[in-house]
Amino acid sequence: MTTGSEPAALDRLLAEVSGERMVATVATLAGDPFEGRRVGTPGGAAARAWLARQLEGIGATVTTETFPVRAVPDVYAAPIAEWNDGDIAHRLTFGRDFSVHLASVDAGDQPKRGPLGLAGADDPTGRWLLVPAAMALADAYEHAAGALGLLVGRAVDGDGWHFTMLAGPNPGRLPVLSVATELHERLVAAVGGGAASWSASSPIRRVDVTGANVHGRLRTATPRGVDLLLTAHYDGVGHHPGLRQPAAADNGSGVAVVCEAARILAAGLPSDVGLSVAFVDGEETGALGSAHHAGQLRATDDQPLVINVDGAGCLHEAAAVEAGGPAHGLLAVLDRAARHTGLPLTAGPVASDNRRYAAVGLATVGIGAGMAGYHSPADTADRVEPETMVAICRLVVATGWLAASDATKLSSLIGDRR
Amino acid sequence: MTETKNGGGFTGDPAAALSVAGTGGCCGNPPQANLSLPEPDGAATTCCGTAAEAKAESSCCGTAAKADAVASGSGCCG
Repeated sequence: MTTGSEPAALDRLLAEVSGERMVATVATLAGDPFEGRRVGTPGGAAARAWLARQLEGIGATVTTETFPVRAVPDVYAAPIAEWNDGDIAHRLTFGRDFSVHLASVDAGDQPKRGPLGLAGADDPTGRWLLVPAAMALADAYEHAAGALGLLVGRAVDGDGWHFTMLAGPNPGRLPVLSVATELHERLVAAVGGGAASWSASSPIRRVDVTGANVHGRLRTATPRGVDLLLTAHYDGVGHHPGLRQPAAADNGSGVAVVCEAARILAAGLPSDVGLSVAFVDGEETGALGSAHHAGQLRATDDQPLVINVDGAGCLHEAAAVEAGGPAHGLLAVLDRAARHTGLPLTAGPVASDNRRYAAVGLATVGIGAGMAGYHSPADTADRVEPETMVAICRLVVATGWLAASDATKLSSLIGDRR
Repeated sequence: MTETKNGGGFTGDPAAALSVAGTGGCCGNPPQANLSLPEPDGAATTCCGTAAEAKAESSCCGTAAKADAVASGSGCCG
């Protein structure tokens, strides 16, 4: 139970939160050696080894669990594209003007040239077809027999980048490129002139790889003690050839928060409380690492309280919280922790690993506090706000400490099992 | 313990976090650089549907929402 001396103890722990240490962690994870940390890459493995060392450095017993990941998209050469309006050739920039759509077949790294046409209106044979904004990609295939490929309009982000996704549709039978909306509109207008052409490559393959979660056990709970699990995914969408995507906020920032919170809680929790960390892989390919881990927890009937951090880079008015499983008690503690640390919270989507843990019945909260440059080259370390990481880390530390100090509050009258 | 009077915590019922609406991202946390207080409206967006859908499908994305997003070619799933 809470005593009069405990707030001071909590505040002493909160005072240990170091923004500088988290900034350094993010800078390391976003560095060139880790290549954007896509699952199954050397950069991902290097990040994993580094994280294991960090956990060992704070006294954790570290293990690694592997799992298969199939058909990860891999742009294996820098794509090339240009278009010609009939008079002038316009060389286009990969990542800004266009990107390779996940539905694209691998058509190699040599560009294919042909006249531009409009899907549904022009003879597709030998043409690159612009898919009208009102036409679904699936419908465009109906009009694409013999076409060189399809060009789909897609909005770019506020920094002018196409963001990269690894989870999405399977490859179809044609090259498919995403084209920035404004350029797409210009191309549609140019088709009317009859002389416009397009030339592009679409070097994208699917690779089967092995993902790996990093687990660190810092403390073991007594049989009736609270067990805390802090999680964050360490993988990113990875670099493209010639295009760095350092994944600083998503989710270097979450990893940094968990590292720091674990370091502090490991030394500051009561002796009967358990504490472990899971840095999971394969989130960007469908939260596969957390699915693997959640399955393991279910099989062993372990029931930790799960706190997942996905993005601690850019706090605006409040941090988003999505909860699942029997989490009423955990939410009450989170709320109390947020009131103590002064962090506004709002119920909002955190579509990440937290859903995997909740899906197996674990009391889970996912916390998201914003990202700049989502899945793009603009997700750089300098755009991760230290004060946001400090705020989220303080929240996690306070939540862990309060949960451990007053475990009776974690049960409720509406079905929580703890 | 004495809580600080500093505007922290949920503005409403914390249990609202158990039934949040959908998301603008797919299989990853959406960008939330301008997250504002508070506006859970119970409606799913194109992708990925609601958390309940995702949970029911044992996935981070609801299949129907994902199919819609893929079919529209509008972005978040590719």
